[in-house]
Amino acid sequence: MWLVFSKEIRELLRDRKTLFFMIALPILIFPLIFGAMAYFTTQAFEKAESKVLKYAVVNPQYAAEISDELAASPQFEQIIIGDNDDYAQLIKNDRVDFVVVMPDNYSSNVLSSGQLEITLYLNDAGLNLVYNRVNSIVQNYATQYQTAAFTTLGVSSKQQQALIKPIVLSQISTADQRESWGEKIGGMLPYLLFILCFQGAMFPATDIAAGEKERGTLETLLISPIDRTKIVLGKFLTIACAGVTTALITVVSMAVWGIVLSRGFAMQFVADFMSQIGILDFVLMFLMLIPLVAIFASILLSISIYARSFKEAQSYMGPLVIFVVIPVMVALLPGVELKGGWAWVPLTNVALAMKELVKGTMDYFQLIAIFGSTALIAVLLLGFCVYWFKQEKVLFR
Amino acid sequence: MIEIVGLAKKFSVENPKKLSEQERQDPRLKGRFFHSVVEVSFTCQQGEVLGLLGPNGAGKTTTLRMLSTALKPDSGHININGSDVLENPVMARKKIGFLSGSTGLYGRLSGRENIEYFAKLHGMKKIQIATRIEELADLLDMHTFLDRRSENFSTGMKQKVAIARAVVHKPEVVILDEPTTGLDIMATQTVLNFIRSLKEQGTPVIFSTHHLDEVRELCDRVTVIDQGVSKFDGPLSQFTQLADGSLHDAFLASIK
Repeated sequence: MWLVFSKEIRELLRDRKTLFFMIALPILIFPLIFGAMAYFTTQAFEKAESKVLKYAVVNPQYAAEISDELAASPQFEQIIIGDNDDYAQLIKNDRVDFVVVMPDNYSSNVLSSGQLEITLYLNDAGLNLVYNRVNSIVQNYATQYQTAAFTTLGVSSKQQQALIKPIVLSQISTADQRESWGEKIGGMLPYLLFILCFQGAMFPATDIAAGEKERGTLETLLISPIDRTKIVLGKFLTIACAGVTTALITVVSMAVWGIVLSRGFAMQFVADFMSQIGILDFVLMFLMLIPLVAIFASILLSISIYARSFKEAQSYMGPLVIFVVIPVMVALLPGVELKGGWAWVPLTNVALAMKELVKGTMDYFQLIAIFGSTALIAVLLLGFCVYWFKQEKVLFR
Repeated sequence: MIEIVGLAKKFSVENPKKLSEQERQDPRLKGRFFHSVVEVSFTCQQGEVLGLLGPNGAGKTTTLRMLSTALKPDSGHININGSDVLENPVMARKKIGFLSGSTGLYGRLSGRENIEYFAKLHGMKKIQIATRIEELADLLDMHTFLDRRSENFSTGMKQKVAIARAVVHKPEVVILDEPTTGLDIMATQTVLNFIRSLKEQGTPVIFSTHHLDEVRELCDRVTVIDQGVSKFDGPLSQFTQLADGSLHDAFLASIK
């Protein structure tokens, strides 16, 4: 068995394509994703903030102060429009970015005029910050008018606060920072790990049996004096090993790059968060991955043995990713918790447990159900794989 | 000595609609089963070369696969130098060297590593393997390319490594399934020389082929299989007598 394993690993290590997907991609993908996201978001915000917006004002005479400030600002460029123009059409045709309609009851004395409603027409579908930029000007005057009104009425600053917000419902979460962030991060972690484990196992799996059939080496291997069970186990171990390695590299790369990139702004938070998760939790996460990878490896190997060629194997394996993703998505649904029946649902229970471990709310008693069900399925599938490999109709299709 | 008696093998037909017109008309198709080999018997003595002839789809490859233990026969006996192949296939595999024309190598391993892997699977020791590979490299003239990755080998180089791999464990019998099909003239010559050298050493060889000149040149015995049944089994001289010395006509006469 180890002979088959060591030969497969040697072959795997010499395949640049597989190595790229197994090692280089997970190492490079995170800085690329993080970096690109940070770059493009900053760019978009900068552009939206500094862009000179074209606008039109309807009835500027009612609110001269605001109209004048808009006109005076170098950030805005006024466009004169006709009385009967359709605002939506103007915005759609890019003639203006927004249209402001001033109300006829506009007055700096809000006690007599009542609430003032300025209407802003804009295309809010993309990131454009139009509302924020206009609002920052409008709010200035709103605050001024409010203060003036309170002074006229003789309301003290304490009363002012009470009038603006008579009751404050202040919330204090009993969940600590780890739990609330763990809920967010812990939900995504299994998603990423499952897919990467699966992908990492998929590349060697296609080559290891279907590739052997295609190259014509399988028949020679079958008639060597080694038990077929040992051949299967050797190949199975190679695939599982590749899957776990990919997952490990991914997690390490994620952690390293997360720390490197957050240096400077959120370093302390990341460091605190990581230090709260104990070594035991990390080890448990890793241990749970093992039966999981065993499930993946058995399924992938069974498919690969069945397929006549590399291509056929790949076309069977592609759609399988969905079956990996669905249990994780189920784990993300509200109400699905690591209790009772859900603790026995394969894959979903591992995803839930990883979330709980990250959150620090793990009920360690549930590990029995998780390891029990996952390991049982893994053993059954591996048993099937061994049986499958001894079927002549599968080997000589 | 290799003795094969009453070998039979049937395959279940998963989807009868996918069968070709020829397969559908084949009398061997019975219900949901295709009886690929119905009754094949032949013998091959020490130092003899046996040529297995037959039209495409006659059951030659299935027979050789059963002989090499890749497939398990439904009935019949295979006996190699006194030991029953079907009773203990793993033991029997140590006695058999198998090579087919469509065989390949592990491209990312060197020629030497390809041979070593199978030698190790045969339970050979390191020193033993090294000496044996040296021996085979001399015999097959492989020194120049043995340590290069085999994915860039020419057909001839590949065939030489495949031959070395098949006989690295010094098998008691060598089985070749259409070993020259698809090979160029040089590579074919390598295979034929190899068969000749085995014959000189007294190792029995069983090989299937469509090339009658190879049969004339190398074989001591001929077995003709048609529709899963061995129609002729005897010495070459007896075979040629079937039709005035012409192997071509003899073959046609044997399957009538």
